[in-house]
Amino acid sequence: MESEMDAELRFHIEAFAEDLVRSGVPRAEALRLARIEFGGIERAKEECREARGVNFLETLFQDLRFGQRLLRKAPGFTTVAVLTLALGIGANAAIFSYIDAWFIKPLPYPQPDRLVSFETQDKKHGWTSGGVTSAADFFDFQKQNTSFEQTAAWGGASLNLTGDGPPELIDGGRVSWNFFDMLGAKPILGRTFTAEDDRSGAPHVAILSQGLWQGRYAGDPKIIGRNIAVGGEAYTVVGVMPGTFQFPLMGIANLWTPLALTEMQRADRGNVWLPAFGRLKPGVTLEQARAETATFFAHLEKEFPKTNTNLTWLVSSVTHKIRKEEGGPEVMICFVVVGLVLLIACANVANLMLARATSRTREFAVRGALGATRKRLAGQLLTESLLLFLVGGAASLLFASWGMHWIESQTPGHIRGYIVNYGHVELDFSMLMFTLGITLLCGLVFGFAPAFENSQLDVNHTLKETSGQTSGSKRGARLRRIFVAAEIALAVVVLISATLLVKSFIISVRSSPGYNPANVLVAQLALPKTKYTEDSQLRNFSDEVLSRIRALPGAASTGVASHVPFGGFGQGIEFQVVGKPLQPGERPGAPFTAVSADYFSTMQIGLVEGRFFDSSDAYGTSPSIIISQTMARQAFSGEDPIGKTLSLGEQHSVGTIVGIVNDIKMNYLRERPGWHIYVPLAQFPSRTFGFVVRSSGDPTIMAAAVRDAIWAVDRDQPISSVEPLENLIAVVNTGDRLVADLMVFFSFLAMFLGAIGIYGVMAHLVSQRIHEIGIRMALGASPVHVMSMVLGQGLKLALGGVAAGVLAALGATRLLATQLYQVTPTDPLTFIGVPLLFAIVALAACYLPAWRGMRVDPLVALRYE
Amino acid sequence: MDKQLDLLQGTLDMLILKAVSLGALHGYGILLRIQQISKDRLEIQQGSLYPALYRLEHQGWIASEWGESENKRKAKYYRLSAAGKRRLQAESEKWNRMAKVIAGILQTTPEEV
Repeated sequence: MESEMDAELRFHIEAFAEDLVRSGVPRAEALRLARIEFGGIERAKEECREARGVNFLETLFQDLRFGQRLLRKAPGFTTVAVLTLALGIGANAAIFSYIDAWFIKPLPYPQPDRLVSFETQDKKHGWTSGGVTSAADFFDFQKQNTSFEQTAAWGGASLNLTGDGPPELIDGGRVSWNFFDMLGAKPILGRTFTAEDDRSGAPHVAILSQGLWQGRYAGDPKIIGRNIAVGGEAYTVVGVMPGTFQFPLMGIANLWTPLALTEMQRADRGNVWLPAFGRLKPGVTLEQARAETATFFAHLEKEFPKTNTNLTWLVSSVTHKIRKEEGGPEVMICFVVVGLVLLIACANVANLMLARATSRTREFAVRGALGATRKRLAGQLLTESLLLFLVGGAASLLFASWGMHWIESQTPGHIRGYIVNYGHVELDFSMLMFTLGITLLCGLVFGFAPAFENSQLDVNHTLKETSGQTSGSKRGARLRRIFVAAEIALAVVVLISATLLVKSFIISVRSSPGYNPANVLVAQLALPKTKYTEDSQLRNFSDEVLSRIRALPGAASTGVASHVPFGGFGQGIEFQVVGKPLQPGERPGAPFTAVSADYFSTMQIGLVEGRFFDSSDAYGTSPSIIISQTMARQAFSGEDPIGKTLSLGEQHSVGTIVGIVNDIKMNYLRERPGWHIYVPLAQFPSRTFGFVVRSSGDPTIMAAAVRDAIWAVDRDQPISSVEPLENLIAVVNTGDRLVADLMVFFSFLAMFLGAIGIYGVMAHLVSQRIHEIGIRMALGASPVHVMSMVLGQGLKLALGGVAAGVLAALGATRLLATQLYQVTPTDPLTFIGVPLLFAIVALAACYLPAWRGMRVDPLVALRYE
Repeated sequence: MDKQLDLLQGTLDMLILKAVSLGALHGYGILLRIQQISKDRLEIQQGSLYPALYRLEHQGWIASEWGESENKRKAKYYRLSAAGKRRLQAESEKWNRMAKVIAGILQTTPEEV
């Protein structure tokens, strides 16, 4: 293009010159004359380029070169801006990778949108079972339904692995034979289960995870067909699943065996315990499947009123369930917060650019005078800002990958099984696209304002000013103040939200769980059915272990329960208050724990009324029951529960309530107080045990001794874990802690950026007003007066932003309500404390500029021109 | 009638369109053609000719192609497009109406008011 234009103009001049030669002018002279006659060739060319209107690329490259030179010439500005952007964009990219894993990427199974989960739901009372159904309901539906290609069920299980090394408890699952096929998972070795494997009494088979195969079995190439001992029985390994296979609804699993339920178990309609899901047939919608289950359960309700009154299935898409429940809300909150932080960072950079552009006014004026149009100048400024943002975006990838590594390192292996698409969270194409996208978007949006403001200029006025000390446009200054106020408002929203979340986290950690977890060691195990067939064996085992632990030096007290807090899935039991008939469809139930006499005193669970269990609650005597405070308050319509009798479970064992203890948290620190039934272990034998040992000091010192005490009773018994109770709580609380940590980091970042923003504006304002301040001081203003003037101006700006932020936060924090524990979304302390803190930080940020203003020497300032 | 007139604002485009309507011309040729038709009574800034050509081409009223000049040199030739033809017609009508109105006003004598 450019050369064509040159050729055309050259032709013109030469043709003209030839005509001149023909009219008698000497050749050398003719060319000179022709050029003079033509006028400014360069200007004509520039005008041609403008007229042609397609010089975009050339201009772009020119601007990029120029912008790049400018960035290099101002290393301070560039460093601050790039770092700010890299932090802001990097945090977003890191969190986006989780948003991507949870909300955008499909689940890592073929046609994941056809996977649907089932759970029992009480239509009348609205409760759901938390992802499980009864076995009979499931198998009947499996036989009769027409909507599903396949349906499968599983039971989470911890499986004892013995032989080939120390006994080990492995997280695993018992799954129906088609579980893997339904998820489209292919083994890396061997096969998946067959229908034959899944029959009760069939030869025992097992599938290992790649991790277990490579770890415990050292990657034995002949693993298929090898016998391993699971729960004391021989299982033949038939397959190895790839390391990437996982199912977030099931959690971590490294060992699978077939479900293989007995006929009796399959026909059990009363116990709701079986997690189940299905794969829709092609063309069948979720709605159609829901309609079919509704009809199906209406029939069951008529046929089995005793167990199925009011019951139906809640049928939901597995994807949806995972997004809604399994960490989805937490990921979303983090994403919104980092989004706000990014806005703050961008506003900061836009402000820096505005400030810098004021000192470039002369440059633009000169270029304007030389014929650059406003559009052209604005375009150049926009290109410069885009360049800056792109550099920031590139640098952000560094922060993003650090951030992702940090989050991963903070996630214990136990939790990783619940991370959706775990192992697929990485710096991938979609994340790069996202980063590029937000970088360009922010660069355009936040580059536009400075470009628009600064390209507007009055050439004459600017060039007439004698020095670089031009005041810039009034509107530019106003824009900067608006930016800073908005920035502070956003930072206040972030800080208030983060404070609420962190406060809730701290309260949930600090609040008493109802027992004292400090210095308590927990040893968990499960006795195999094959070896311990009689109830008396179970009783003898726990008695013997307890007496051995009691004899250990350093064990202040000890007790045992069928299930300890934060020890994994517990048990529930249905009950009926004797003499109080149930309404149809009413099926009260509560978590249920069998405990030894000294369990409560060892855990330091408080007695509210009545008595603890004691030696009188022995095997063979009439059962005693202790209930939780909340249950005592709610389940007996205001009557005193002590002395009342309950009928428990399917055996209808009748027991008398002898005591009430305080509520305890069993699974979750944000748990609300609930019903709980305790019975004496001597009267209600259990196969699972959690031994609790309270020591006078660090409980971990006792771990080996406790392990030996158990092995002294049964040398082959695997122990699933020996850990301080505080550790068990910490592991479960990982997600909350991670969110709280991120919130602390993001809120500091937000506050820091906000402070930098207000500092920048005030410093710039003072430097522009040096002349004015000089006059004021010459006329008698004291330094203190000048200081308070500057501080006042800064504070006014900050308070405006803080007020707007508080208002916005009042609306925003309502969305956090479900995540908060014992903190209201409008927590007064937070809503007073954060603005106050911000005012102080703003004041501190204004102090330096104010101090500089105070030190202005009137003589120097007035001569400054 | 010897003094050259400065070109009225906005008339250069019309003159270019008229010039190329009589046959394809290169830039220098257009300059000569306008001077020839106007009998050298119009002063055209040579430097402003090309931006105008580029603008007209960008608007689609003239089209260009490279060809050979009368003295066997490569030159860029401009010709009127269909849209340009319509444009020229509309512009000429507008101009004539305007000229008539203004002439009428200027010829008005005091008695006629």
